[in-house]
Amino acid sequence: MSKGNSKLSLTLLAIGFVFLYAPILSLIIYSFNESRLVTVWAGFSLKWYGELFADSQIMSAAWVSIQIAFMTASLAVVLGTMAGLVMTRMRRFPGKTLFGGLITAPLVMPEVIIGLSILLLFVSLGDVIGIGSRRGMTTILIAHVTFCMAYVTVVVSSRLSEMDRSLEEAAMDLGANRVKVFFVITLPIIAPALISGWLLAFTLSLDDLVIASFVSGPSSTTLPMKVFSSVRLGVSPKINALATLMILVVSIGAVVAWWLMSRDEKRRQRDMQMALQKGD
Amino acid sequence: MSSEQQPSSAGSAAPRQEMLGAENYVQLVDIRKEYDGFVAVDEVNLAIRKGEIFALLGASGCGKSTLLRVLAGFEQPTRGEVKVDGQRMNGQPPYRRPINMMFQSYALFPHMSVEQNVAFGLKQDGMPAAQIKQKVDEMLGLVQMGAYAKRRPHQLSGGQQQRVALARSLAKGPKLLLLDEPMGALDKKLRSQMQLELVNIIERLGVTCAMVTHDQEEAMTMAHRIAIMDAGKIRQVGTPDEIYEQPNSRFTAGFIGQVNLFEGKIEDDEKDYISIRSPDLPAPLYVGHGVTGYEGMEVALAVRPEKILISKDEPEQPHNKAQGVIEEIAYLGSHSVYHVRLPSGKRVLANMTNVRRWASESFTWNDQAWLSWGDQSGVVLTS
Repeated sequence: MSKGNSKLSLTLLAIGFVFLYAPILSLIIYSFNESRLVTVWAGFSLKWYGELFADSQIMSAAWVSIQIAFMTASLAVVLGTMAGLVMTRMRRFPGKTLFGGLITAPLVMPEVIIGLSILLLFVSLGDVIGIGSRRGMTTILIAHVTFCMAYVTVVVSSRLSEMDRSLEEAAMDLGANRVKVFFVITLPIIAPALISGWLLAFTLSLDDLVIASFVSGPSSTTLPMKVFSSVRLGVSPKINALATLMILVVSIGAVVAWWLMSRDEKRRQRDMQMALQKGD
Repeated sequence: MSSEQQPSSAGSAAPRQEMLGAENYVQLVDIRKEYDGFVAVDEVNLAIRKGEIFALLGASGCGKSTLLRVLAGFEQPTRGEVKVDGQRMNGQPPYRRPINMMFQSYALFPHMSVEQNVAFGLKQDGMPAAQIKQKVDEMLGLVQMGAYAKRRPHQLSGGQQQRVALARSLAKGPKLLLLDEPMGALDKKLRSQMQLELVNIIERLGVTCAMVTHDQEEAMTMAHRIAIMDAGKIRQVGTPDEIYEQPNSRFTAGFIGQVNLFEGKIEDDEKDYISIRSPDLPAPLYVGHGVTGYEGMEVALAVRPEKILISKDEPEQPHNKAQGVIEEIAYLGSHSVYHVRLPSGKRVLANMTNVRRWASESFTWNDQAWLSWGDQSGVVLTS
């Protein structure tokens, strides 16, 4: 490879990075702005962080969002794993292809349509049996589980179909019944997929504005809804501070996950080498 | 386990026969297995003796693996009965059968140590922890893996993984041990070593064993008896030498080893000999024993290449000989294989053991050579 070529690729790389991260960088810088005006720099200050934590509305919205995201992720992992098991472990049954299609449909369906249809369902359910007429955290939770489950199912079933079936058969052959095989063999082996499915569902739920706006009630404002509504009234540097904190948390999470993974990989390679050296 | 004290060697045949017990220890009666109209196993009847190593040999897709899975309980037969030690197994799930299997991929649990893998089956039986520990140590000692008890499966080489898998499948003392392509995941050099070692361990414990393989050399090395399968049916059952020396059909003769088949009609059918006239050969074929047949019956004479003598001068015998031209020579060190084209166009394989150094140099390409064989060397095949 010539030098000119590598210069060109470095330039392209820089352009790509600027394109991706310039908005985020300016957001972080202005979160430390002294001025009330978001676009005018008036010196370094942490006062917006202080105001952010003093704002009880934002804080309570954040708490609502975290609660919903936590429960959504947990429920979606349980339901998604069940759906994944049906997709990969059950023999062919009539409508299996249709079922598979239906499960993954929310991945491509517009959020507006999901939100609206779930709202209509709640309204008519409320008319008939009185459930869902009072909208709040429960209705947001149900709506979030519905679309997050699809993502979890995709992640879990790909891991399940990758897994060597003879592991389960071997456990059964050695005397474990089907339920025991699932909890002692299958679950530990697919655990990484469950964790990444959980994290994915957690982020999706935390991030969702559209569906939540359809099905929320007066007592349940999530963080994205709060951010969106306060921005409409005028952008406050508080939101910059909030966004900066969220980026910080997500980055720490990503770095920790990467570190864990690379440590695992390194250990595995070392073990493999050891086994090879000892030979048979 | 009284057989444990008995010293045994994998090589000699005599102790093998003594160890074999009850004729019908494992019984498959009229087994048939269909998948969506496709018949994978068709009317299979088999009886495996106690303490025997029995091999199901066949090409891929012949139904041998399905049969093994029927025995393990992963598949239910469409029809027929499976019995082990007099007990009917039909309808029993795998976890209630006194049968354990060593999988082709070994299927060692990756999240458990070697020790935990071997202990898994014992734990399911509710054995007390102290006893489990003792049994695991005993099994790992048996396969010489005691030093690796704390390792994880991915830290072991292929041969070591196989030892652990064997220990795990033997730990519960199964009435029947199933081996699914036991050497499939090993490289060639390790294979021949592990074959004999596996047989040694299995015979030391006296466990009855059914194995599936597509490798005839492996089946002949390891098994006491072999069943040849093709298209879901069993074609022949017998000891390795019976199958090789006394094939019952053109299929088995051609499936195991190499063979020359001379098609022809019985010309002379007597009590103690028959002669066959084959369009392939100028001289008549003479077989020194009677067969159940009639004059004019279409038969084939199967002669293995190593039973055909190759010579420069015409042999004195009036039968079982032909002259031809050497077309190809495969020099394999211990022996050479000559491809000889007869005037009729028939190509015959003849082996010559290279007993002297440079013995192979006595023949070369396009030489005229005489082929001959004894009157007991061929097998008459009617099907």
